[in-house]
Amino acid sequence: MDINHNRSYNIGNGNNHLSNHNILHKSSSTLHLQQQDDQDTEIDDDQHAFYSMIKERSQNRTGSIASEHKNYNSFSTSSKLFVQNSSIMKLPPELLLLIFSFLNKRSDLINVALVCKLWADMVIDLIWFRPGIQNVATASEISEVLKMPRDQTYWDYRPFIRRLNLSFIGANATDEFIQQFVGCVNLERITLVNCSKLTHSSIYKLLFGCKRLQSLDLTGVRDITDDIYITLAHNCPRLQGVYAPNSQKITKAAVLELVRCCPMLKRIKFSECSEIDDDTLIELAEHCPNVVELDLHGCNKITDASLKILFAKLEQLREFKISHNNNITDECFDLLPNEPCLDKLRIIDFTSCNLIGDKAVEKFVVKAPRLRNVVLSKCVNITDASLRSLSLLGKCLHYIHLGHCSNITDFGTATLIRNCHRLQYVDFACCSQLTNETLRELSTLPRLRRIGLVKCNNITDEGINALANSRRTFEDTLERVHLSYCIQITLRPIYNLLMACPKLTHLSLTGITAFLRNDITKFCRSPPVEFSDHQRSLFCVFSGRGVENLRCYLISIFDDRGGSLATAILDGQHNAVQRLLMNRPINEADSRSARLMLAARNDGEFRAQLDGSGARPIAFIREPIAGQNMENGRIPAEAIDLFNRLNYFRNLVPQAGQAPHQQNQTSGFPLQTIQQQRQQQDQQQGLAREQQQQQQQQRQLNEADNQQMDQDQDQDDYDEEMDED
Amino acid sequence: MVKRYVLVSSDNEKFPTERKVMEKSILLKNMLKDLFADDDDEPIEIPLPNVSSSVMKFILEWCEHYKDVDFEDDEDDDSKKSAPIDEWDKNFLNTDQEMLYEIILAANYMNIKPLLNAGCKMVAEMIRGKSPEEIRKTFNIVNDFTPEEEAAIRRENEWAEDR
Repeated sequence: MDINHNRSYNIGNGNNHLSNHNILHKSSSTLHLQQQDDQDTEIDDDQHAFYSMIKERSQNRTGSIASEHKNYNSFSTSSKLFVQNSSIMKLPPELLLLIFSFLNKRSDLINVALVCKLWADMVIDLIWFRPGIQNVATASEISEVLKMPRDQTYWDYRPFIRRLNLSFIGANATDEFIQQFVGCVNLERITLVNCSKLTHSSIYKLLFGCKRLQSLDLTGVRDITDDIYITLAHNCPRLQGVYAPNSQKITKAAVLELVRCCPMLKRIKFSECSEIDDDTLIELAEHCPNVVELDLHGCNKITDASLKILFAKLEQLREFKISHNNNITDECFDLLPNEPCLDKLRIIDFTSCNLIGDKAVEKFVVKAPRLRNVVLSKCVNITDASLRSLSLLGKCLHYIHLGHCSNITDFGTATLIRNCHRLQYVDFACCSQLTNETLRELSTLPRLRRIGLVKCNNITDEGINALANSRRTFEDTLERVHLSYCIQITLRPIYNLLMACPKLTHLSLTGITAFLRNDITKFCRSPPVEFSDHQRSLFCVFSGRGVENLRCYLISIFDDRGGSLATAILDGQHNAVQRLLMNRPINEADSRSARLMLAARNDGEFRAQLDGSGARPIAFIREPIAGQNMENGRIPAEAIDLFNRLNYFRNLVPQAGQAPHQQNQTSGFPLQTIQQQRQQQDQQQGLAREQQQQQQQQRQLNEADNQQMDQDQDQDDYDEEMDED
Repeated sequence: MVKRYVLVSSDNEKFPTERKVMEKSILLKNMLKDLFADDDDEPIEIPLPNVSSSVMKFILEWCEHYKDVDFEDDEDDDSKKSAPIDEWDKNFLNTDQEMLYEIILAANYMNIKPLLNAGCKMVAEMIRGKSPEEIRKTFNIVNDFTPEEEAAIRRENEWAEDR
C-alpha cells in the first residue's frame, strides 16, 4: 500500500508516533484517509473487514451493566477507565489487537477478555466476529445469549457479528432462531446454505439496516421472494454477491430494483427466474459493470439481443452459466471483435441450449481463449467440429462436459484429448458412438480425476483394461468413474481398474448385468429414495468405503497371494506372513494388492492420509502396521520387517534371483517416529484448531458437492433408464 | 556500499546505515525512493524522533540480519498468522518486556512488518494457554471487573469455548 503523500510528514512529525502504515490506523490520524479509500475498494478482503471492525469498535458500545464502562468513546481517551500501570498498556489498542489476532483459539480470547475491561472491549468482537455455529447445541447457546434483555448482558453482542454462517445447521435453522440475529447491522456475509425451513419473512427482516452486507448465499433456501430482493436493494448498497438459485417467484421489477441499487454486484445467481428478460439483463450490464460470475440457469426469456451487450460490457466476466434456453445462438458473441477479448472468462455453461452449435463454439474459443471449464451437455447439435475448436484451448481446458452430444465420435475426442493434456474432468455420457478408442486416449491424460461415460455402450472390457493398464502408479489421480449402462463390461477389468487407481472413491456401474449379483451389490450404496423398484434393481453405485470394500472383495477373489498377505498382517499372524514371504519373492502385483487391502481395512487414519497432502504409499502401510499390531507399545519385529519389504517393493519390481529378505537391511521403523508425528499433529491441531475446523468444513462442503454430483449422476442414470423404458 | 545515510535517534545518536539495511523499513524505503536520487553523494541525516538509540540498535541488528531476505508482500494471509515464530527471531526478541514493546512500537512506526508480526507473536505466546489470572500476573495488570461482571462475561461467551 502506498503512503507516498505522507512520507515526509511521517518523518518530520514526532506526534504522529504510531500506526502510520497499512497494518493499523487510528481514525484520528490524518495519515489514514488514503487507507480508508483502499478499504472502500477492497472490501472483499477479510483483513480489511477485520481492521474496519477495529476502527469502529468504540462506536459499537451502548448501555451495559458496567455503567462506568461505556463512558469512553475511544481507547485513547479512556478517562473513566481504571488506569493500568502496566508496561504492555503503552502499546496502542491496534497493536494489542494485532497481538490478540495471533491467538487462534477461542478459549485464549475468552481468557484475554477476562483480564481487564480494556482488553475485554478490545477482544470481544474477535470472539463474535464469526460465531462458529457448528451444530445445533452451539446455535441454541448463542440464541440464549442473544435472547437476554439488553440490560442484563455485559455487551450488546449483535453489532459484533460480521459473518453469519448457518449452513452447518441447515434444515435445523428455524425462523425463530434466525430472528435472534435481527439487528446485527454490521453483518457483512450471510450464508444460509441448505436452510430450507427458513421463510422469506424472517430472511428479509434479518437484512434491515445491514448497510455493510457484501454477500448473501441462499442456496437451498426455498422461499425466496421479492421482499428479500427489495430489502437487499434498499438496505445493502455494498452488496457484491447474491446467490439465489431458487428465484422462480421473483418478478422482473424486483431484479431491476436490485441491480439499480447495488452497483457493486460481482457474483450473481438468479437461476430459474423466468421473468428475467433482455431489458433486465441490459440494465444489469449497465449498472453492475464489475460482474465476474453470472448464473442464469433456467432464465429462458433471454435472447442474443441482451447477451451481446452483456458480453461486450462485462469485461471482468469470469463465469457465465445459462441453461435450458432455446433462443441463444452464436450471434450472442457478435458485438465482440474476432480476437481474444473475453480473456478473463474461465467457465462457460450452455447446458440444454439447443441453438448453441459448432459455430458458437468456434466463436467463443477464439474470443475466450483461456476457458477452463466448458459445459455443453445436451447441446445436441454439437459435432466433432466443436471438439476441434475446443482443442485450441490446449492446456487451459481442465473440465469438459459433452453429455448427450451424440454426434461426436472417437475422432473428435482424440483431437480434443491430445491437445488438452491437462484435462481433469471429462463427461461424454450418452455419446453412443464413442468406443474403446476414446478410453485409450483418456488413459493418456496424466491429471485425469473424473471420467463420465454413462451409456456409451460400445465400450468393452478391452477399453477398461487399456485404461487400467496405463494407470499403475500409486499416485494415480483418477477418483471418479461413471460407467453405468456400459452393458458389455464385466468384472475382471473393473478389478484391474480398482487395482490401478488407489484414489478411486466413486464407481457407478448401474444397469450392467455382470455386476448385478448379490455378492457385488452388497457393497453398493443405497439407491435414492425416489427410485422405483425397477430402478432399484438396476442400481449399482459404489462410493467411499463401498469402493474399498469392493476392492478387497475382488482381491480375495482374484488375487490370492497379496490378499492373504494383507489378511495375515491385519490378523497379526506373523508365521503366516513369514511363510508367504519366504516361499517366493512377492511381485509388484502382490505388493499392490496387499497394500490396497491394508489401506482399505484401516479406515480412519488411512483415509485422513489419503485426503491430506501426505498420501504417500509409505504412509499407507506405516499406519496400519503401527495401529493394528502394537504389542505392549512396541511394533513386532516381523511387522517392521514386512514394512521394509513392502516399502521396498513400492518402487521396484524385484530383480531376478534377488530374494526380498535380502533387502531388509534398512533401519527398523521406530515407533517413536509415529509418536512424534502424532504429537506434532496434536500440537498443530492445538495451534490452529479453528483453521482446521474450517478446512474440515471445506472438506465437508466438498464432500457435499461430490455427493450432489453423485446424486445428479444418479438422476442422469435414472433419466437414461427412463429413456430406455 | 558507502554508508552515506545516517539515522538519528531521538536522543541524537547517529547511526550510519547502508541503504539495503534501511530498506527493510518500508517507511524509509519509500522516503529514499521519493526524496533522494541514487547518485547523490551527500551524506543524508534522517531523524527518527520516535526511536531511542537503544531501540535503534536492536532494529538495525534485525535489519542487518535480514538485509538479503526478500519478504514477499503477501498481505498477511492466514497461513502467516498461524506460522510459528522464526527461531532466529525468537532468540533475537528474547529480551525483557519493556524492550519487546519498544521494538514493536518502533517496527510499527518504521513499517517493518515481519519484525512487527514476530514481536506480536512473542507477546501472543506469553498469553497463550494461560488463565486470566496468570495473564494479569505476567503483564502486571489489575483486575478491574466486579465478580458479577466477570461471571456475566463468562456466561455470555461459554458457547465459544473450544470443544
